[in-house]
Amino acid sequence: MTGRSEVLLEVDGLVQRYPGTRNAAVDDVSFQIRIGETLGLVGESGCGKSTTARCIAGLTRPTGGTVRLGTRDVLSASRSALKSLRRDMQMVFQDPYSSLNPRMTVADLVGEGLLVHGLRPERRARRDRVVELLDMVGLPASSLERRPRSFSGGQRQRIAIARALAVEPRLLICDEPVSSLDVSVQAQVLNLFKKLRTQLGLSMLFIAHDLAVVRYLCDQVAVMQSGRIVEIGSRDQVYGAPRHHYTRELLAAVPVPDPPVERERMRTFRISEEST
Amino acid sequence: MSTPADRAQYGQNLLEIRGLRVAYGNSRRDAVEVVHGIDLSIRPGERLAVVGESGSGKSVTARAVLGLDTDASLSGSIRLGEHELTTLSRRRMRDIRGARIGLIFQDPLAALNPVMRVGWQIMQPLIIRGTGKREARQRGIDLLGRLGVRDAGARFDDYPHQFSGGMRQRVVIAIAVIAQPELLIADEPTTALDVRVQAQVLQLLDELARERGMAVMLITHDLGIVAGFAERVVVMRNGRVVEHGDVDSIYAAPKAEYTRGLLGAVPRLDSDPDRELATVAPDWDAS
Amino acid sequence: MTVPPLSAAERLVGTGLGGTVPAPDQADPRRPNGSHARSRRRTRGPAAEQLAVAAAIVIVLVAVVGPWLAPHDPYTVDLTQQLRSPSTGHWFGTDVNGRDILSRVLAGARATLSATAIVLAVATIVGTLIGTVAALSRTIIDEILMRICDIGLALPSIVLALGLAAALGPSLRSAVIAMAATWWPGYARLVRAVVRETRDAEFVDSARMLGVGRMRLVLRHVLPNSLSILYVQVSLDVAAVMLTISGLSFIGVGAQVPSAEWGAMISAAAGNVGNGWWAVLFPGLAIAFTAITFNLVGDWLRVRTDPTLRERA
Repeated sequence: MTGRSEVLLEVDGLVQRYPGTRNAAVDDVSFQIRIGETLGLVGESGCGKSTTARCIAGLTRPTGGTVRLGTRDVLSASRSALKSLRRDMQMVFQDPYSSLNPRMTVADLVGEGLLVHGLRPERRARRDRVVELLDMVGLPASSLERRPRSFSGGQRQRIAIARALAVEPRLLICDEPVSSLDVSVQAQVLNLFKKLRTQLGLSMLFIAHDLAVVRYLCDQVAVMQSGRIVEIGSRDQVYGAPRHHYTRELLAAVPVPDPPVERERMRTFRISEEST
Repeated sequence: MSTPADRAQYGQNLLEIRGLRVAYGNSRRDAVEVVHGIDLSIRPGERLAVVGESGSGKSVTARAVLGLDTDASLSGSIRLGEHELTTLSRRRMRDIRGARIGLIFQDPLAALNPVMRVGWQIMQPLIIRGTGKREARQRGIDLLGRLGVRDAGARFDDYPHQFSGGMRQRVVIAIAVIAQPELLIADEPTTALDVRVQAQVLQLLDELARERGMAVMLITHDLGIVAGFAERVVVMRNGRVVEHGDVDSIYAAPKAEYTRGLLGAVPRLDSDPDRELATVAPDWDAS
Repeated sequence: MTVPPLSAAERLVGTGLGGTVPAPDQADPRRPNGSHARSRRRTRGPAAEQLAVAAAIVIVLVAVVGPWLAPHDPYTVDLTQQLRSPSTGHWFGTDVNGRDILSRVLAGARATLSATAIVLAVATIVGTLIGTVAALSRTIIDEILMRICDIGLALPSIVLALGLAAALGPSLRSAVIAMAATWWPGYARLVRAVVRETRDAEFVDSARMLGVGRMRLVLRHVLPNSLSILYVQVSLDVAAVMLTISGLSFIGVGAQVPSAEWGAMISAAAGNVGNGWWAVLFPGLAIAFTAITFNLVGDWLRVRTDPTLRERA
């Protein structure tokens, strides 16, 4: 399915070091995402996966390394170059309760990208496009004049997705987009991601701590620990034949919703070293 | 897990909830009922999981058992052994909390007082009930060691911020069980933890409950951890029980449509990733 | 001192544990935002708020047309009518110079209110500007601006007013200049603290990610979500500013005799309170009434302008 298509995102030797800390938050991280591909970046809290995402998105300036989107360098981009890069690269954040400006209506939230990039300068055309986007993520046009406050978590995340997709990005960075949602809502949003990815030919960088979620959505998987990628490979390889002991340990810790299997797993699970 | 012989011995329920309704709000007029008459029971030493999504009323039920919300109005019956908890005075309720029912909250950081040494917080339930300081300290250190905190004697006088997330949750567990309660209510005890630490904490809870013959009411949204931990399951939605039964039969053959949907909605490591996840319908979130 | 309660509340909302907040009747009433909105509504009914808004409109109208409403000339001295107690002829009585107090209170509304309004408007604008720039600038600029604020905070308005009075002559105008110059640093600090908090909010990152320009980012995303705390502060300060202006008038560097400014009226009559309590009471009531009204209006404004407190499906 991936074939040998063109590389869309190339991250090379990314380092993020904060003053006054011994270890780098992100330590020599390199990977590629090809067009149409979804890379899952998994790891426990504090492993540097979100910082990696923010560096790639240009929201934080890393200490070192390069990030290329297509042929363009993200980190050395001028203000105007960065703005045009934003059209190709968008982000969905973790918490739909704080990632939407509470004072803006859905029409303004979803239409903001169109407005600032001058994609639909005319008000009417913009509105039509917003309705189209809402429909794509499964929200009715009657949502337009409402504010985020009156939506549930899952609906808010749909709004956030529509907002990100408005500028027709090629790469969608998702930072734990379903971790704050209920199980049934999470399933709906994951299915939506799958649908949109096929429909729009999106490439995705999907950050999550839940290994089962990543397995469901991603073709390629990178496992991070203490700022480093310890293992990267295809989904089947990483989940079927993990090479690194940390990956094996993570996988062994994931509960399975099947009582006999899970009881056995719980009995035998051992952590290799007191790393907590 | 308790053997059939155990069950015969403890034929009676430890906790029995009948027709419990919980409403919030000051006046009768603007009260909002969030739990609409539920029944559930726990036998001594039994592990019961109460499963549901947000708004299902699972935490509200747990808080009602403990009488934690003073602005909640309860009706129906909550019996713990010989006590009827819904009508118990505040003072008597305080005696029951801690001594007979222990509680673990979701967020170990919020549950600990940041300016008090953890040892003092662990000893408190014993000291309040008249145990001598030296004995309380020894029991606290022993328990903390049992919970896998290395060098427990030295760490006993540390402050919460000196512990990692997983270690803090062990301290919270120690506070909850030091007075040897018969029932432990664990409200999403591992939701804030990483997956490996979650596995460890669940193992510990499992062992501890076994050793002490302590009943556990596990409140969670995570069907994965329920499968390995619980003997019986109650599935809640919108303040009602939609299904209850023993864990094996509910997972093998869920009767309620909601339970089926919930089980199908969880991505899992042993299923085909190309098969679409089930979605629970109807739902406020479906558009 | 400037821990912004708004952002704390917003953070609580942000960490909403579960995902779904379904229909409001299903929402968990223990959710912090839910209970907050509820308790707000319980403490003050909409009737009280509407009443306060109506009263504020009346006060402002009086400030505009007050002098024409006055039954007597507020400045005419009539020594035959000294210190008359309230009667049908003089509803609020007369002062030591025989001037009608009702007329003076009505006429004084303009002086007092406009002085207060000018001080607060200048302080708000300058404070917001400086505070926002400081919060969003690099460390050096932030440091410089905050040190300037410290100087402003360290300088008592009375001292500055005395200096200005010496330089420009004592007048209500010097008092207003002195007040404005010493009042804005507090607002700048407040705004800086809140804007810093808002700047780190996820929705601001979301806007940056979308390619939103700097001006729009500040005006559309950061400021609207930062300033509701300032409204509250300003409305609370109405009383404080009015009293300080009165204080300055009292020590002789503010409004000058015989001007009908409420504070100046009180201070002029204070020595004679045993013989004419009404000369102190009525201007005092005017100050108290205005202060309470604007407090209520400020509260109403806050709830109205904060969608996290207002909109529930």
